[in-house]
Amino acid sequence: MKRNVLSIAVGALLIFIVGLLLFVYQVRKSEVVVVTRFGKPTRDVVEPGPHWRLPWPIENIHRFDQRVQNFEDKFTEGLTADNFNLLTSVYVGWQITNAAEFFPRFAGGAEPIAEAEKTLDRMLGNAKAAVVGKHPLADFLSPVGEGNKFVDIEKEILGIVESQVQANNYGLKIVFLGVKKLGLPENVTQQVFDRMQSERKVLTERSQSEGEAEAQRIHSEADRKAQELLANAESEATQIRGKGEAEAAKSLAEFQKNPELANFIFRLNALENSLKDKSTLIFDQRTPPFDLFRGVSTNLVK
Amino acid sequence: MTVEPQNDLRPPETPVDAGSQALSEALRSSFSIVKFVMLLLVALFLASGVFTVGPQERAIIIRLGKPLGEGEKALLGPGLHYSLPYPIDEYVKVPITAIQKVRTSVGWFAVTPAQEVSGEDRNPLPVTTPMDPQVDGYVLTADNNIVHSRVTLTYHIADPIGFIFNFVNASNAVLNALDNALIYAASQYKVDDILTRDVAGFKETVRKRVADVVSRERQDLGIVVEDCQVESRSPRQLQDAFANVLKAEVTRNKVLDEARIYENATVNRASADAQSRINAAESERARLVNDIRSQADRFNDILPKYRANPDLFVQQRLAETLGRVLTNAQDKIFLTEGHDGRPKELRLLLNREAPKQESKP
Repeated sequence: MKRNVLSIAVGALLIFIVGLLLFVYQVRKSEVVVVTRFGKPTRDVVEPGPHWRLPWPIENIHRFDQRVQNFEDKFTEGLTADNFNLLTSVYVGWQITNAAEFFPRFAGGAEPIAEAEKTLDRMLGNAKAAVVGKHPLADFLSPVGEGNKFVDIEKEILGIVESQVQANNYGLKIVFLGVKKLGLPENVTQQVFDRMQSERKVLTERSQSEGEAEAQRIHSEADRKAQELLANAESEATQIRGKGEAEAAKSLAEFQKNPELANFIFRLNALENSLKDKSTLIFDQRTPPFDLFRGVSTNLVK
Repeated sequence: MTVEPQNDLRPPETPVDAGSQALSEALRSSFSIVKFVMLLLVALFLASGVFTVGPQERAIIIRLGKPLGEGEKALLGPGLHYSLPYPIDEYVKVPITAIQKVRTSVGWFAVTPAQEVSGEDRNPLPVTTPMDPQVDGYVLTADNNIVHSRVTLTYHIADPIGFIFNFVNASNAVLNALDNALIYAASQYKVDDILTRDVAGFKETVRKRVADVVSRERQDLGIVVEDCQVESRSPRQLQDAFANVLKAEVTRNKVLDEARIYENATVNRASADAQSRINAAESERARLVNDIRSQADRFNDILPKYRANPDLFVQQRLAETLGRVLTNAQDKIFLTEGHDGRPKELRLLLNREAPKQESKP
């Protein structure tokens, strides 16, 4: 009897589990589920946790990832308002918001997400072409404060795509959109290189000539300063000498006491100073003190 | 009920023969093996929920589709954890404390790591090589130039639940945001600012933009930006042209430095010269004044002596001076008087001019 109870219990448990598998399904937090009854969508479930269902083939469960998907569109060429070819690529974050609307449009194929992204790609392509055509190149590329409208351009593209998504009831939402890449067509890049190269040449030459001119200026400035300094010093020196002479003149007054003696002393000094070095003197007998010799010859003979 | 007769009937109907007994033995033993295996499987099934969380990660258990616990409490720290077996529980591991790293996918030319190691990526290209927009990444600058730039962003995940449950591929979303920040910053900086003049400003703009884009208000990626490194380079096609500009700038600075050195030297020398001229004048003045002063003093000293006997004084002084002068003189020639009472004649050959250089051979 005990064995039977156990068997029944195990059997009941197995039936219970099978029943659960048939009548219950789980919804993960990141998912949204669409339930179809005989192929017709009846309800979509976003609440995470276990839910009741009728078993297959009456009801079918279609799961969709409700999280934000990343999508990056093709790098496509557009013509700006001032006729420049500009390549742009944007990325979007999008998510399924209404599975009941999303399901009938995109769930036909094996990859509903990829299907939806094909549609997005088309919409983004149109939106980009429209927005790029409205703006000159300077709106994309210019310093802040000089007409850079990068952020506005992103908003405009987002606005167009959002309104299209809403108008078409795709059951999805664009969460964010940003420019991923900007570029130029291949043949244009070469022109840009040519232009950049000549710009570089101009810069190189400017550095050289500016440097030389500036150096020249510094040189002449330095020379001018030096001469000025010397000229100032010279005039100061002359003033100082003048002052010295004026002071000396005061002492000259002393000599007024006896000009004769002063004159004699000055001449004596001058004589002594002029005959200091390597001089040759020639005398005759009348020059004192050699006049003594004459006296000797006469006086001593006597 | 009917159990009794069955029991009674069995022995005669099924006589115990060795073969069937062996079969039932075998069945019984294999059944017990099956039971054992089943129990083992159940045990294994229950044990499959054990998992470990590493030091750099956190885990979240999802029970019947819902994360177990709210907010921070849902995060399981490092160690051994148990979750009920699938399909009741699932667990997801999130790298959280580890620093995540991502590098921009736009803006840099196609290059392999091996080429970067060997330095091959720095080889110049002919200027006529165009950029293939599908292969070569670059950014366009505010002055419509082409330049290469790449950003390496480091961040950590601040909100793992959002990171997992809000995004299919959150790290990809971070990459997109980073690419966007690079393009955005490049579109408003000029090429020279990006490469040399304002590298820090450019980097700051990238960092601010990416932090803004991933923030709660915008894309709410649940990450915190730690740092970003920006590397920029001129296109390989124009490497020489850019290098020449740099060289010219270096040369200019050198020329200017030399000019400034010359300026310093010249001005310093001139001011020293000027000072010495002033000093010379100063000392000349002092000498002149002192000279006159001392002469005047001496004059005052000798004046009384002179007044006492002017003639004698003059003679004495004259003789004394002459004596000194004659002592110092190098050559002295004394002319005696001739018989006619007149001095003898002396003829001097004055050779003031230098002797002639060119002498005939």
